[in-house]
Amino acid sequence: MTEWITRPERHIPEDELHAYLDQALSRSQCAEIETHLSACKLCQGRRATVAALRDRTTALLSGLAPRPVIVPPAYELLRDRQSRRLAIAVWRARLQRAGLWAAGVVAAVGAGWAARSALDPHRIAVAMPALAEAPTAPSTPVLAPVQPDPTAELERQATPAPIPQRRAPLLASRQATNRNPEALVPAPSLQLVSMVTPVRAAPATQTMLAPSVPSNDPFNRIWRVVQWEEALQIAGSGIPFIEGIPVVGVLLQPGGAGERPMVIVAQQDQNGEVIQSIEGPVAKVNELLQRQATPDMHSSDAARTPPDYSETPGGGVRRTLRILTVTGRLPIDSLNALARLATIR
Amino acid sequence: MDDLERLYKTHYAAVVRFLYRKIWDADRAEDLAQEVFIRAMAHRPEKPRAWIFAVAANLARDEARAAIRRKKHLTLLKDDPIPLSTPEPSAEDSVERDERWARVTGALAALTERDRDVLLLWDAGLSYPEIAAQTGLAVGAVGTTLARARKRLIEAHDRMDYEARTAHS
Repeated sequence: MTEWITRPERHIPEDELHAYLDQALSRSQCAEIETHLSACKLCQGRRATVAALRDRTTALLSGLAPRPVIVPPAYELLRDRQSRRLAIAVWRARLQRAGLWAAGVVAAVGAGWAARSALDPHRIAVAMPALAEAPTAPSTPVLAPVQPDPTAELERQATPAPIPQRRAPLLASRQATNRNPEALVPAPSLQLVSMVTPVRAAPATQTMLAPSVPSNDPFNRIWRVVQWEEALQIAGSGIPFIEGIPVVGVLLQPGGAGERPMVIVAQQDQNGEVIQSIEGPVAKVNELLQRQATPDMHSSDAARTPPDYSETPGGGVRRTLRILTVTGRLPIDSLNALARLATIR
Repeated sequence: MDDLERLYKTHYAAVVRFLYRKIWDADRAEDLAQEVFIRAMAHRPEKPRAWIFAVAANLARDEARAAIRRKKHLTLLKDDPIPLSTPEPSAEDSVERDERWARVTGALAALTERDRDVLLLWDAGLSYPEIAAQTGLAVGAVGTTLARARKRLIEAHDRMDYEARTAHS
């Protein structure tokens, strides 16, 4: 910087003259420059040139103003705008938090509802009463108005119909077709539709006897109309149902020693048709289907379910085969399709 | 009155001019200048003067990019060239003022971006260290850059002035 001072033949560089005029130099640097300028005509001329250049630049740029006079708005206005912006930011953050919280709650409720629906189809009927209680055609007996005396109705419903003699046992029929020795061909027509009424028509738990059935009849056991939870509690597992169709009733008949109960689950589809999933020992299911057979009732092909194992008096183990079949006033193909959707809870 | 309010009163016009010389829109320059000071209220920078010009430069850069995008968008929307506002028939002094304005803006546009930034920051009142901090130059290089920018600005302006006079004669 100061090289030009100690060497008289050197002069003040132009950029330092700019900095000097822009007052960007220290006090000592300014003093050095002024000392040199006082004795150097050339640098005085350069200084005048730089000053003129600087002044012209300033003058040119001053013409590039948006307007001759720029008046700043009141500072308070800017402060208000900043306050509003801050408040908006705070609210936005709160809304985001609330939105996240609400989304979490909705997701949790939705997941819980979906899980409960998947695990507890009986709740579907409760959650969709309009669907379960949808008006149906007058010809559909199941959808008749609620009976004034549900106990009597249930008792009547629980009474098996007379067994038609024209039907051979399902197992024998199945063996005759040689398709699956364990599967059974159901009866073509059933009377089961009147066995179960919607849940709203029945009390929480009903216990009844079939008075018309002789005491040695295998169905001389107690048929109980139960809620879904109670059915699960009693049967433990083995409650058949079809996913996605509201459950309108569950009937249980306790099994013998070492046997799981026989279960009938009634479900009502959107058209008002009642579909019954019957699960139990082969002989009992077979006999029940024959007793309930009517021309317009059909049943699906039977599918095997886990058998019962019980001890014999001789110390051996007896295996009792169990089957699942789906019945209703639907074509057999439809019932077979529904049976494929049936699961055992 | 706090420091920022004092700075606002003393530097608002400089910030508006600084922004205007970058985006050439008076109203938008005022809007952006107010935005700069509103942001300064929220941030409370340690060196407010350098800070507000740095933010102003960034806003002007964003504004220029947005203007380019808008122009492209409009061009895409309409094949015809965007009609420019035709100057009203004005008096001779008005024409002279417009030509002068065009020469200065043209001369400023002839500078390199760095020279232009340094020149505008200096004209806005920033010190050499502040200009150096914002532009990334060494403090000692600011004087050199500024000297070159001034000289090129005047040269470009005089060349355009000469060409205009030659065209008129």
